[in-house]
Amino acid sequence: MKALVVERSLPRFAAARLRSTLGMGPGGAVSPVRLADVDAPRPPGPGWHLVRTILSGICGSDLATVEGRSSRWFEPIVSFPFVPGHEVVGHVDSDPSDRVVLEAVLSCASRGIDPPCAACASGRVGNCESISLGALSPGLQTGFCCDTGGGWAGALVAHESQLHRVPDELSDTEAVLAEPVACGVHAALAAPEAEAATVAVVGAGTVGLAVTAALHRFVRPASLVVSARHTHQQKLAVHLGADVTVGSEGTVAAVRRVTRTMTVGGRLTGGADVVYDCVGSAQSLHESLAVVRPRGTIVLAGMPSPARVDLTPLWQREVKLAGAYAYGLEDRTRGARSGDGRPGGVGSGDGGSGDGRRSSFDMAFELVAAAGLGRLVSASYPLDRHEEALAHASSAGRRGAVKIVFEPGARRTPPSGRQSRSAQSRAREA
Amino acid sequence: MRSRLVRAALSKVPAGFPWTAPTWPTSLPRPAARGGLGAAYDTTWARTPVARAVRAALLEAVGRPVSSLVASPEVRGLDRLGELEAPAIFVANHSSHLDTLLVLSVLPPRFRHASIVAAGADYFFDRGWKAVVSAGLLGAIPMERQRVNRQSSEMAAERLAEGWNLIIFPEGGRSPDGWAQPFRAGAAHLWIQSGVPVVPIHISGTRAILPKGTVRVRRAPTVVTFGAPVRARGGEDARRFAVRVEQAVAQLADESATDWWSARLRASADSTPPLQGPEGSGWRRSWALPANDGRSRSDSKRWPGV
Amino acid sequence: MTAGRSGTVGRPGLVLEVDRSTPPTMFWHGDGFRMERLPVGSRVVYPPEPAVPLSDPTAAIREALENPLGDSKPLSALLRAGMRLTIAFDDVSLPLPPMQAPDVRQQVIEAVLDEAARAGVDDVVLVAALALHRRLTEAELRHVLGDRIYDAFAPTGRLTQHDAEDHDNLIHLGQTDRGEDVELNKRAATSDLLVYVNINLVSMDGGHKSVATGLASYRSLRHHHNTHTMVHSRSFMDPASSELHSSNWRMGRLIRDAGVKIFQIETTLDGRSFPDAYGFLNRREWEWKARDRATFLGAKTALDRLPPRLAQTMMQRTRSPYRLTSVQAGEVEAVHDRTIDVVLNQQRVVVEGQADILTMGLTYLGPYNVNSIMNPVLVACLGLGYFFNSYIGKPLVRQGGVVIMSHPTPWAFDPVHHPSYIDFFERVLTETTDPAEMEAKFEESFATDPWYIHLYRTGNAYHGVHPFYMWYWTAHALDHLGAVIVVGGERRAVRRLGFRSASTMQDALEIASDVVGRDPTLTHLHTPPLLMADVR
Repeated sequence: MKALVVERSLPRFAAARLRSTLGMGPGGAVSPVRLADVDAPRPPGPGWHLVRTILSGICGSDLATVEGRSSRWFEPIVSFPFVPGHEVVGHVDSDPSDRVVLEAVLSCASRGIDPPCAACASGRVGNCESISLGALSPGLQTGFCCDTGGGWAGALVAHESQLHRVPDELSDTEAVLAEPVACGVHAALAAPEAEAATVAVVGAGTVGLAVTAALHRFVRPASLVVSARHTHQQKLAVHLGADVTVGSEGTVAAVRRVTRTMTVGGRLTGGADVVYDCVGSAQSLHESLAVVRPRGTIVLAGMPSPARVDLTPLWQREVKLAGAYAYGLEDRTRGARSGDGRPGGVGSGDGGSGDGRRSSFDMAFELVAAAGLGRLVSASYPLDRHEEALAHASSAGRRGAVKIVFEPGARRTPPSGRQSRSAQSRAREA
Repeated sequence: MRSRLVRAALSKVPAGFPWTAPTWPTSLPRPAARGGLGAAYDTTWARTPVARAVRAALLEAVGRPVSSLVASPEVRGLDRLGELEAPAIFVANHSSHLDTLLVLSVLPPRFRHASIVAAGADYFFDRGWKAVVSAGLLGAIPMERQRVNRQSSEMAAERLAEGWNLIIFPEGGRSPDGWAQPFRAGAAHLWIQSGVPVVPIHISGTRAILPKGTVRVRRAPTVVTFGAPVRARGGEDARRFAVRVEQAVAQLADESATDWWSARLRASADSTPPLQGPEGSGWRRSWALPANDGRSRSDSKRWPGV
Repeated sequence: MTAGRSGTVGRPGLVLEVDRSTPPTMFWHGDGFRMERLPVGSRVVYPPEPAVPLSDPTAAIREALENPLGDSKPLSALLRAGMRLTIAFDDVSLPLPPMQAPDVRQQVIEAVLDEAARAGVDDVVLVAALALHRRLTEAELRHVLGDRIYDAFAPTGRLTQHDAEDHDNLIHLGQTDRGEDVELNKRAATSDLLVYVNINLVSMDGGHKSVATGLASYRSLRHHHNTHTMVHSRSFMDPASSELHSSNWRMGRLIRDAGVKIFQIETTLDGRSFPDAYGFLNRREWEWKARDRATFLGAKTALDRLPPRLAQTMMQRTRSPYRLTSVQAGEVEAVHDRTIDVVLNQQRVVVEGQADILTMGLTYLGPYNVNSIMNPVLVACLGLGYFFNSYIGKPLVRQGGVVIMSHPTPWAFDPVHHPSYIDFFERVLTETTDPAEMEAKFEESFATDPWYIHLYRTGNAYHGVHPFYMWYWTAHALDHLGAVIVVGGERRAVRRLGFRSASTMQDALEIASDVVGRDPTLTHLHTPPLLMADVR
């Protein structure tokens, strides 16, 4: 079985880091990721299934890994060698008629820990306290664990608690977005005060656009300003519900205009009630601090990289800085669809908890279909063209793309990455 | 191949206005004098003693040797000038730029270095550098020839009154085809007004050396014939006087082409061949040109017979 | 009244029909120039040459003050000890380009102050009649008034700038019969005498507009600075047909009837807009001498090569050698009648008939970007506002015709002077370019935005509503034209303005042929120096 494998190799990570610092993008002869022929992973125990990958997305955190930029924070909670890829749509090997998406977090249930930790018990799997414990090797998610395999391969193993059946009306390209969109939904709901308030979203990659769409559908802020560097991102943001879009240099002015506050020294005296930082860089956090109002909230939705940021405004203006990671059961499910046609999980990860809360994935399926998020998938590549694929993903904004995906089932090497939608999924729709 | 490259390179060089001088919209009248050029050009500086001395030295040291080398002039009729004193007006037919130099070269010394030349204001004085050359080297003064203009005529009269001799070509320009053009009444007006005697001169052969429209000079023999001074009769108007002077030049032409006596005979029979050549046009006029008047400038003719 | 041969015109303006012997025509192109060969048969309208200036301006000013026009006593008779005297003057938007020192305003105000000193007036305040324009910097005030006046009045706070948002220093005088509020600078309106010193560069300036606009508040201005007025001012440069003019005159009469005593001093300049170093700008192409061609080529090459910022600085440094051609003082309407006569006499060019296409080269400078950046909104205003409206009778271009403007139109804004323009460009023009629609939907929120008000009052920013006024200024043109094309402009910015973009004049004419057919007539407005086309 072909798979893209990441091994622990300091020289390779160092070289990748150098390349990315020099702006050369990922890839090259000494990339930490290489195409290898490996055995398909064995299910480690009962309740595990072999899943054959249809599509698997390239996430910002994956890029950080292959470019050697990710935080050393992850060191104890990953295990090498691993196959990346946690945005996965595939077939369960035992039942090829069913399509599933992966809820990638490896929480207590998959690790065979019983009783589960307090977080898992309350449905907040993203906050699981056992991610490096139990029957499995350390790994916060599938795609960072040496025992499970990952999406950038022909197949992986997944625990039944991780699987969500894909509603039939969603195509493969739409389904592969369920995981990142679930993250967006989770982030959007992380700040309850965003409802009927002035909200700014900084950055409009996959995360920013998913947050924008989720805010528009489930939170309904009074006005929604999206700052996007590229024009195609601005257009998409408008389609997904932004009231105002601006280029990245205009964020402060746009938020000022909407909130009608003053500016002193390039930052606002008042500002937005909630700011979603969907980039995670020092620059974006600085920008978020410049436009958030005193006692406002900044939600970190994009995976941050190690960054130096002056936190004085956080202190002086009593700003709340909140992280938003992964997904789980959501408390606030405004705008939710009623129970009929609710997609059921293969295992325990079903649509709701019975107490009115809904799973992030359930809401993500709804949002992907309602907002037409399938258009965010810009190109798909076979595994053997991984260098091109990673380069494309790394420069997605500049090249007018949003989400790049692998299609491990594609055997041939087409002349170029297929745009927008794979032929396979089109055939399925027909 | 190379020339094409050169042309391609040249085509990249910006050309036309504003790199070159602007053309003038046809619908707008162009002012005659711009910035003291043309008829308004002040030539006083060219008559200062220093300028005169320089000009005289140049004429003796360069002008006359060049003219005798190129034109080998045969001068006739100088005796007719007799005791004539300056100022005088010398009037000649005009077929070449060389005429001015030739006349200056053959004038008797008492006139030679005290003469000024009437030159077309629109041609010799339209640019600063041309005005300087014309006035400085030839002692030219600007003469308006396209339209009636008192100014240039009055200026010439002032010069005559100061004692300068004036050389003037009353055709108002060089001959286009070898035959003369009618003498202008405007010039005759000046002659009458100034009351200065007019000396008719006929020049033949300069067309062979440097005709209008060429820049290459070839050697050829020339004949300069001076006639007896003429004065306007009382009450004679400019037009008539112009015709009379033109006839005097025509008789000199006849004389230089044939001989004095037969010319006199034809003159008294009023059958002097007209200076302006036969009626008609095209080949017949050029066919009728005298042999030495540059009908052919082909090199083969000049090849020494072996 | 006035000494010397006031407003004696030099060589009159000219309408040239382009033929094959006509050299290429110079177009202004922002901080640079273009040479364009216009189609044979096109007409080029050239301004009259500068008028003959007054030989002794100082004497002329004093004579005007002592021999006022209309129902007014001489200035010296109006001044007395113990009175409150306010002297208002036009701001830095006049004249264009700023004139070489000494400025006319300095000369006039010094004469007025001399009289005031002689009469023993202690309470004198100077006020720059800004309306909603930006405040002048110290350097600009020193340039306009001269160091003597600045040093005498600024340190004690007696040199002020009108603040249309300082509600403690505004007074509501009433409403006209059309319900127009008249709210003015309180100090000016409650003085015993208000002396207004104007520079009447174009025929829109001056008269009752000086006080009724220059010293008014937003509440008052919105009655005539709006789409309706601008569409019904045909043109706003022609007092007889300008609704803007009528509204100001109604307000002016109300001000007079409310008891505000105004002594108006108006001046006209000779139209010598550019210094001799740029002699070619004052001359017609076929009369360019070698020196003109050399300076043109030198200037063009330098401006093309220089970084835009430097080119802009170089051009903004231009100071015009304007000289006074007339000065008249006294009662507002009598004074202004005389002034308008002089201005029109100096600027009028008779043009027969309208064309399908009107072309114009736009300069680096308009009234609102002195010492600043000409942003895209100001480009539109200069072309479709000022130049398009430089007519009496009917527009130079027919209804449904095309205007082709040449300007680089960079996507650049001055954040100090034009902060609200940036938001206008990003927020309003992305949504609509229709003046009436933006007036209804956005004007209020920009006009009352506290941040813009703060910058207007304390910084050097135009008022928040000012970009709307710029766009209203184009309303008549937008209403009249079939298309607007910008040659050589930055594409994105031009599209944002709602215009079409062409890289060359040939392309622009091709694009225009979609609107006006394949064989259009064309008129080119060869300005500045300024002219008023009298279209018959």
